This record gives sequence, structure tokens and C-alpha cells, in this order.
Amino acid sequence: MNIKRSASRKAGTGESASLEYSGPKLTDNLQQTLENIVTELGDAPDLKIRRVRLSGDRNVLAAAVHLSELADTTAVNEFVIGSLLDQTGEWNADTSASADTLPELILSHALNVGEAVLQEDWKEIMLAILSGDTAILLEGYSVSIVCQTKGGESRQVSESTAQLVVRGSKDSFVESVATNVSLIRRRIKSSKLRLEYMQIGTVTRTHVALMFIQETADADQVDEVRRRLAKISIDGILESGYIEELIQDKTFTPFPTIYNTERPDVVAGNLLEGRIIVIVDGTPFVLILPAVFTQFFQSAEDYSQRFDIVILMRLIRYISFIVLILGPSIYVALTTYHYEMIPTTLLINLLAQRENVPFPAFVEAMLMEITFEILREAGVRMPRVIGQTVSVVGALILGQAVVEAGIITPIMVIVVALTGIASFAIPAYNLAIAGRIIRFGFTLLAGMFGFYGVTLGLIVLVAHMNSLRSFGIPYLFPFVPLSVKGQKDTILRLPLWAMKPHRSPQEAREDRPAGTKVTSGHKENLAPQIRRKSDGDTAGGEVGQEGGWDENKS
Amino acid sequence: MKTRAKAAFSVLLVCLQLMFFLSLTGCWDSVELNRRAIVSGVAIDRGPNEEQKYVISFQIIVADEISGENSRGVSPVTLYTGRGRTMFEALANASRQTARFLSLGHVRVLVISEAFAREGIKGIMDVLERESDMRLTTLFFISKGQPAIDCMSTLTVFGKIPSNDLVEKLETTSKQFGYSYKMEVDDVIRGIQTIGGGPLINGVYVSGARSKADTKKNLETIEPQAIIRIKGLAVFKDDKLKGWLEGEAAAGAALIRNKIKHLPVIIKMKDGSYVSCNVYQSQVHIKAELTDPEHPVFSVRITQQAAIKESSNDLELTDPQVLKDISVKIAEVTHQQLETAIVSTQKLKSDVLGFGEVLERSHPRGWKKIRDRWSRIYATSRIEIATEAVIRHTDMRTDSFQVNKPE
Repeated sequence: MNIKRSASRKAGTGESASLEYSGPKLTDNLQQTLENIVTELGDAPDLKIRRVRLSGDRNVLAAAVHLSELADTTAVNEFVIGSLLDQTGEWNADTSASADTLPELILSHALNVGEAVLQEDWKEIMLAILSGDTAILLEGYSVSIVCQTKGGESRQVSESTAQLVVRGSKDSFVESVATNVSLIRRRIKSSKLRLEYMQIGTVTRTHVALMFIQETADADQVDEVRRRLAKISIDGILESGYIEELIQDKTFTPFPTIYNTERPDVVAGNLLEGRIIVIVDGTPFVLILPAVFTQFFQSAEDYSQRFDIVILMRLIRYISFIVLILGPSIYVALTTYHYEMIPTTLLINLLAQRENVPFPAFVEAMLMEITFEILREAGVRMPRVIGQTVSVVGALILGQAVVEAGIITPIMVIVVALTGIASFAIPAYNLAIAGRIIRFGFTLLAGMFGFYGVTLGLIVLVAHMNSLRSFGIPYLFPFVPLSVKGQKDTILRLPLWAMKPHRSPQEAREDRPAGTKVTSGHKENLAPQIRRKSDGDTAGGEVGQEGGWDENKS
Repeated sequence: MKTRAKAAFSVLLVCLQLMFFLSLTGCWDSVELNRRAIVSGVAIDRGPNEEQKYVISFQIIVADEISGENSRGVSPVTLYTGRGRTMFEALANASRQTARFLSLGHVRVLVISEAFAREGIKGIMDVLERESDMRLTTLFFISKGQPAIDCMSTLTVFGKIPSNDLVEKLETTSKQFGYSYKMEVDDVIRGIQTIGGGPLINGVYVSGARSKADTKKNLETIEPQAIIRIKGLAVFKDDKLKGWLEGEAAAGAALIRNKIKHLPVIIKMKDGSYVSCNVYQSQVHIKAELTDPEHPVFSVRITQQAAIKESSNDLELTDPQVLKDISVKIAEVTHQQLETAIVSTQKLKSDVLGFGEVLERSHPRGWKKIRDRWSRIYATSRIEIATEAVIRHTDMRTDSFQVNKPE
């Protein structure tokens, strides 16, 4: 099947042939083909070509081509080249064999490699070599045997650094798709678990894996994800953030509509709930979609701690989100517009503090918030040793000095510190930064209109959140549209038996919002690449089972 | 693409316009806290003539002196007085003297002089309701026989703000051993509106050396030179003060209004010794009968629960009969209190105790016929009192240690 498809594309690839040599790049002349490969890769020093002569009756010249920095050298030496040189192989003697050509014979009889295919398409062969595979070329045959010898260095599976838990699994994803898939497969040993590979990025040709559980995941949604992924046209995908930005429903919103995690247990849980995941090679952050607002308040640990405690923790997370977006604005509104709402004794305190402060409360709040953001930004990328110093210098010394100098009131420092800490209480980093941005808007509104402005802002905010969709799912589900069934795991987290983890796929799907259709989002809001392509082209492009990795053959 | 660019441009424009708002200093009604003068109490006196009818004094908090690090050791509050033909004029005149915006949002106490109260407080109440800053939960007092300003210019020991001191005093007395209870602006306004009656308002006065009350000297001696005291209940008829209830009458009035939390009752025994009881619960039920519209008959039934607090004699408190005797005496005292209260208000022809309300509820039709003449009818109507008291416990001891003393 692969051969057929590759052949059909051949015409297309031939057009971009180099100037020196105009014929087909994969020829039955071994020397010519090897030269083509060397030219194509710019005489790369790590391109290793091992020429062998197949002994026996055939006496055919062969060559194994691989990139030594990328391929697993042991595998190449032992299994590929070793098999070719094996004199005793039964294929060698089997000269009277049937109609099978030599490459097919080698494929079926000789290679000690787990995965090997015949490949006629030049582009695919090049891609295979560039991915670390070994291509075997034979004199007299314009076909190559591509053997899986991917190797090279990759990071060990280690503890998650971004999403820590007290109790829960300690492994986390790494940069390799294969390892990541294995981490998930190890958790869900179901034949219903589907895996699809595709390559995105015209230059980087990044491996992107799509996983979901058949029947549990909504088929329409899976189709929609496939469609959007296929429509991406971009040079390179270096991180899952690229994909997220290109396939999300709305660009102009601070709220994330796709969840990302580096924890395999979170991914497994979401797969079981019928969500779709996208793994991108080169990043440990895996995308989970569709994602609704409440999901960003869930932590992996929620399911390993007692449910009542989890409800408390969830409540605290929601409260901290409110504190985060409204903290400074409430302070500004209270002190500049609604002093009568402050209890008298507190008001006297505030009055005394504000007595000699030169700035209006709004300027004060903005100054402090921006200072805090600078501190945070400075601390994030610092080497860990210096990072500590930054936070100590910033938080303690600057905070105290600023109060002592009489520039900022102590209560303002408290408010800013509180919002700062509140932003860290939200499990999802991307929602926390969204909250930080919104906070500035609210402070501005409070400075201009007091609580009136804050209320208007809240109305706009809620309206905006209601307008968001994540692959057709309303962002505020299960609150809007209200679903009583869906409340089991939102602010509340019911005991596991009440959440019915053994439900059938049909039941699982019933919990999802009724009457919502999977849409291609707000079309005008999709990333331009996807939008442009979605006009007219509906074929699905290059999606599909790109051969090579065998997990999808189930 | 074009529309998108246009949209982006317009969004940018809106943002820019919003930014311009910031450069407009003093947004609308935005006032920074350090531009405000927070008023904690207001005293209203009657001026000498119509040109200066309202003399309003504002007690303003000097926050720096109360909790600031850089206090100068001066008075924690300051007083500004404005005069005018109307409340608003007086307020404006007072504002002109201050460097900051007079902010009435935190006024906790409002004191009106007796002279003004006798003349009528309707004009004042309208402003209190109309002014958006004022709270209807502000406590209302009548300055007893003194200018109201005296209460605002007395330094107090506990709490640096005199108005707060007054509020706290009222809260304590209403919870322990007192007949005064919280009367807010809202209650007063509703009281004025009751037919044939009026509000019942706490009285307040400054005892001691009033000339030294407003200096720090007041606090330098162990015993304060001048103390703000809460005493008496002012009986109003409509918006005019008619007289005062004190002592037993005031206690009776508070009992009928069901506002008593704790009330001490002192009983004289046969042998001349005293037993002190604490009435910690009392419940009043008033019933009205209107067989003859001109002569309604009310029955006041009161049930009380008490505890013995003091019995420095050889009474055998373990004996139920003894306790029963004491409770009968408590009931007698209560009877006396209620009767005094009712008689005094009947004399003043003001139904401040709310009998009219009871009548209206039980006999709405009959009430309609007599409500125009209610204050006159009230003065002559018959009110029967039934009292009942139970001693629930004798506190930490039963008998006094003197009871079984060997002879």
C-alpha cells in the first residue's frame, strides 16, 4: 500500500530535482543513487555509506546508508550490515525462488530488524535517513529497503518539573514521541487505544502523534482534529505550542482552549474521558483537547487524595483565580470610590498608611503589579541558584524598602503579594498567566470607574468566556450550558464510585453538552494557515497513516 | 484580511482612547483616601436665630494620630462646626473650613441637642435619609440638657475616637444591665411615622468637668475628669421631644419593647438583706381587646427567667419554696416597672411603646375608626399587666456558705 501511494507522488517530487542531474534520483544505478544522496545532503560528514557485496550466487553490490549521529550504530552494524553480510542466510541460497525480487527476498528472509519496508519514493527515503533510519540500496533495483534504526541521544524519563504532585506517578514525558507513546500505552492496555502519526512542518517534518480511544472519543471530534492538523502549513514545529496556536478555535483570547501537560497519568485519564491527545516530537508537553475552563483547575493529584479534601483544594483554586483577577482592582475601587464599604477601623488604618503616599491608589497598584511581574519574569529564567536571590531580594528587600520609603502603602504590598501567590495556586500555568493579564484590565477599570467598571468588566469577561469553544465544546461547560451530570468533576470531585468510571462509551458521551456540534470553530478566528486551506480543500491532505511506525497497524 | 486589519485598528483605537482617560485627573467621583476627612460623629445644635438655625459639628478622625507612625501627639479627632439656615448650608460652611472632603460614610453617632429635639427634628431626618453618604444604621442620641457638641468634644479613654466610645458603651449597656438599646436613624424615622406615637431615643450627657473634657488633661488622671454617659430614654410625640423616662420607667419601656438582654433586679428580703437577680430572658406578649372602640383594653403578659447573682444571707436556696418566693418578688418588681412606664407614657400622651401597632394588627377595622384620636385614647385606655418569673439557677453555688455555719 505504501508503495502505491509513494509511486503516485513520484511525479510531484521529481519536479524539484537538482540542476546537475535531471533524471530520477532513485535509479537502478547504485553509484548514481549514492551520489544523489550525498549531493542532496550537502556532503554531510555524518552520512555513512557502507558498501557490501552480497556473496552467493547473485553477487550483487549493495549499500547501507545512514546518518551516524542520528542512527543507533549498534543496530546498524549488527542487524542491518550484519544481516547483509551473513553468508549462511537461507535467502542467499534460495536462488530458484519464485517471482520475488531480490529486495523482497532480503526483506522477507534476511533482515534481523524489527521494522523494515520497501520504499520507492525518494522523498520518503531521504526523510527516513534524516530520521535516523538506514536505507539499503541495491545495484540494479530502483527501490530501497528502509530499516528502522532510530537512535541517538534522548533524555531519560525523569520526574515532572512543571506539574509536581505529592502523591502520584513520578514519571513525565520526554522529547521523544516514541517514549511518550510507550508511557501512555503502558497505562492503557486497550486495543481501542488508537494512534496515528503524521508529519507536520515542511522543513522540520516533525512527528506528531494523535491518540484517542475509539468509541469513547467522539468520532466527529477526532475527524476535526485530523482535519485541522492536516491544514497546518508551516516551516517548522518545534514545540506543541506551535500546534496549539494553529489549531485552537480562537486566537484573540487570553484563555487557553487546549490543555497541555507533561504527565502521562493526566493524559491517560483524559484519554479515558474521551479526549484526544496530540504528542509532538521534541517536546515533553502533550496537548489535550478539547479543554474546558474547569479542566484547568484540576490537578493530577485530585484523584489520588480523598475526595472531600480535594473539594476544599479545588475551592481554594477557584477562589485564588478570583483573587488573582480581582485583588488589586477591588483594592483600588474600594479606596478611591467606595470608602464607605471599608470597615471603619480598617479605614482608619488605611488612611494613616496613605497619608504620605505620593501616588494615587491606581498608580500605586500598577507600579507594584508591574514590579512584581518584572521580578517574576527575572526569576523564571534565572539559573536556579541566582533565582533564589532574585526572589529574596525582590520580595523581601524591595517590598520593605518601598514601604519604608513611603512610596507604596503596606496594604498594597499585601494585596500584590496575595495576588502573586494566588497566581501560583492555579495548577495550569497558562491559565494563571491569562489571569495576570486580565488583572491589569480590571485594575484599569477599577481606577476609572470603581466597582461599576469592575462589574462591567466581569460581565464582558463572562460573555467572552461564553463565546469560546474548544473543538465545539462550550468553554464554560458544564456551567454554561448547565449540566447537572457534568458537575461530578468540576468544583466538586465526587468519590470515584459516584463518578462511575466503568461507564460505557455511550454513557460517557452523554455527559458531554447536548446539542453542540463539532465545528471548525469560529472560522475567522482560526489561524490564517488553517483558514486559508479550509476554503475549498477538504480532502484532508497528507493526513493519515504515514508508514514507518507500526503502532497504528492494529 | 482587510476587515481583520480594520478590526485590529479599531481595537487599537479604543485602547488608545481608554488610555486617554487616565490622563484626565480626578476621574468622575474618584477621591483618594488621603484627600478625605472621615467624619465619625455629628452633633446638631439649635443656633440662636433662624439665620443660624442649624449648628452642625463634625468630629473628624485624624488617622495619623490613631495608627500612623508619624503621629504628632495631638488630639486623635478634630471638630469643625458649620452654621446655616438649612442642614446643607451648615454642611457647606463646615466643609469650607476643612482641607479635605467631608466624608459622611462612616458616621457612627448622631447627637441632637434636647433644645432642638423639643422643637422638632423632621428637617434633620429628611437630610439624613436623602444624603447618599449617610447610613441609616447611624446611632441616634439626644443630648440631655446639654449642647450636643459637648458629646463630640470629650476625649475618651478606650478607643481614641469618642464616637466609637459612645457606640461601644451602648453596645455594652444593651447587653449587660441596661435599658438602653440600639436606636438607629432608621428606627427613629419609622418611630416618627407611627400614629399617635413617636420614637424612643437614648439620652446621652457628659458628666464631670466639661471644661476639661476636650483636652488631653481629661485622660491624664486615673479617674477621667469628664465621662460620656448614656442615660434615660427620650419620649417623642411625632418629631418632638415630650419628656424623659428614667430608672424604673425606662426599664419598663425597654421590657415592653422586648429589647432587654440582661436586667438586674434587686429584691429586699424581710430581714432587710438584699438578693440580686439577673433577668437574662424576658418575653412580652401584648393582646388587645376592642369591644368598645373608645376604650380598648390591653393585656401585657411577661414571662421572665432569672438567675440569682447575689445572696449574702442565710437563705436556703436549695428549697424550691424559697426560690418561688423570690421569683414572685421579681415579678412584683417587673410589674412595678411596667406600670411606671405605661403610666408615664400615658401622661405624655405618646404611644412610644407600640400599643397602637398591636391594636392595628388584631383589629384593623376598629383601628381605622380611632387612629386619628389614638394618642388621646391611649392616654386613657386600660392596660392589664400579668407578670411571671422563674428562677432557673443560682449560679456557681446553691446555698451561701453562711447557711450551715455552726452556731
